Amino acid sequence: MIKKLSLLVLIGSLTSCVAVKEYEKVYLNDPDMILASKNAHKFETSFQVYREGSAGANGGKSGGGCGCN
Amino acid sequence: MKKITLIAVLLFTSIGYSQASQDSTKIYKKRVLETAEVDIISSLYTQDGDNAAVTGGIGTEKLTDLATSITISIPLNDDDVFTLDGTISAYSSASSSNTNPFGGDDDDDEGNYSANGISFGSPWIESSGASKSDVWVNGDIGYSHSSDDRNSVAGANISFAKEYDYTSFGLGGSFAKLFNEKNTEISAKATIYIDSWQPIYPVELKTYIEKNQNLNAGFFNGINIYNQNGIAIDKNGATVWSPLKSSLIDTKSRNTYSFSLGFSQILSKRAQFSVFLDFVQQNGWLANPMQRVCFSDRANYYIGNPTSIPNYTSSSNKDVFQLADDIERMPQTRFKVPVGLRFNYYINELVNVRTYYRYYYDDWGVTSHTASIELPVKISDRLTLYPTYRYYIQTAADYFAPYEQLFSTDEFYTSDYDLSKFDSNQFGFGISYTDIFTKGKIWKLGLKNVDLKYSSYKRNTGLSAGIISAGFKFVMD
Repeated sequence: MIKKLSLLVLIGSLTSCVAVKEYEKVYLNDPDMILASKNAHKFETSFQVYREGSAGANGGKSGGGCGCN
Repeated sequence: MKKITLIAVLLFTSIGYSQASQDSTKIYKKRVLETAEVDIISSLYTQDGDNAAVTGGIGTEKLTDLATSITISIPLNDDDVFTLDGTISAYSSASSSNTNPFGGDDDDDEGNYSANGISFGSPWIESSGASKSDVWVNGDIGYSHSSDDRNSVAGANISFAKEYDYTSFGLGGSFAKLFNEKNTEISAKATIYIDSWQPIYPVELKTYIEKNQNLNAGFFNGINIYNQNGIAIDKNGATVWSPLKSSLIDTKSRNTYSFSLGFSQILSKRAQFSVFLDFVQQNGWLANPMQRVCFSDRANYYIGNPTSIPNYTSSSNKDVFQLADDIERMPQTRFKVPVGLRFNYYINELVNVRTYYRYYYDDWGVTSHTASIELPVKISDRLTLYPTYRYYIQTAADYFAPYEQLFSTDEFYTSDYDLSKFDSNQFGFGISYTDIFTKGKIWKLGLKNVDLKYSSYKRNTGLSAGIISAGFKFVMD
């Protein structure tokens, strides 16, 4: 698993040799392209944390703050 | 003199040019946040199932939760943003109410009984116990600073959360660095939660210990205890109900230390991805003190209507309740490592695709895979529809077993189905409305975005849930 992720990061780093310029980021700046869950889904993530044994790795909380996880 | 004049003119010109350069830098430095923003998010969550952990892994899991949060982001200057977040979440839970299934408050021996002394409690009905509802409140204050070139962002936050039986203080710090013309970002975040229980225990266990094992005192006074055959036992005899252990929790603290690493990369004009890796260490009382367990190798005892005992695990049982053998007990440390990957692709002006995958591991034996996909479809320049699907699968914790399948010889045990082996499917559908010109006004706030979503969640253990969420983003004029 770690090897696969490392490979992915490496591939990502290699592609970064050709950087996308600021003026070329019109598609990437679309609100739906943001690399995070939407704000409005905050409580949906909360109930998943309550109801499942797993949490974290989504840029948000991964434990603590309540007795639920 | 001419030389001095020339030097003076050059000097002032140079200072003036320098000042002008600085001024022009100030003028053209884009503000991190142009104006104050207010985000309001509300949700209504409902669930039901047949495996309540408070009643030992059997019983109604009916729960309703209404939550609202308000986040205010205020630009302090070009570089700094101050954020205030307040959340309130109010729930009503049938299973939590059964901390005391016989009504009254959870701390004493009040209760609801019929004229002949038969109590009304059952894992399948909601009790009038004080713990049937609770409110979780949370406050968070954050601050972030961006460098002049906007390639570095440092942040810090403090948080506080409180509910009836739990208090939390949190402290966090983060740093992000962008490079390669802002095509690449690496980030690190550290968070500490110093939490504590104000434990609520199952009423029979708490009373037994408080009344020095006297089954004729407090909650037990005047109440018959029945064995599996429905025969009232001699409460002064040799064979009586008793909990496995004579003490409840050892420590009230529950601390969490997390360290997160993030990496995001633009792959092309249409594609980008990010990877998150968290390391989480938890110490303290990690089990829930109100959750009962019933062992397979100990005799069963009941309070209520003895004729309903053969029917105990059926939802038609409304008037008999099994006394617990113990509260759940779990190790006092837990180490978690979740790894998450997001990949978004802009297909065309109509459709994007948003994907997420997470692998999770912890040293309690839980491993899981989560995969989700979201397809935003723009039906106009303001309106987007987005169907979503999420699949989740996990292995059981080493300490989990269903109702009446745990062994008292084990060191750790739980019948909490959130730690069982299961998979779940979640289907959702959302509508997002965006008005970048913020024509809709409330006081000095312009409405920029409205997001509505409904999701249906089903677990193969029988639990089903639904959540409707609404988010509103306002910007200050």
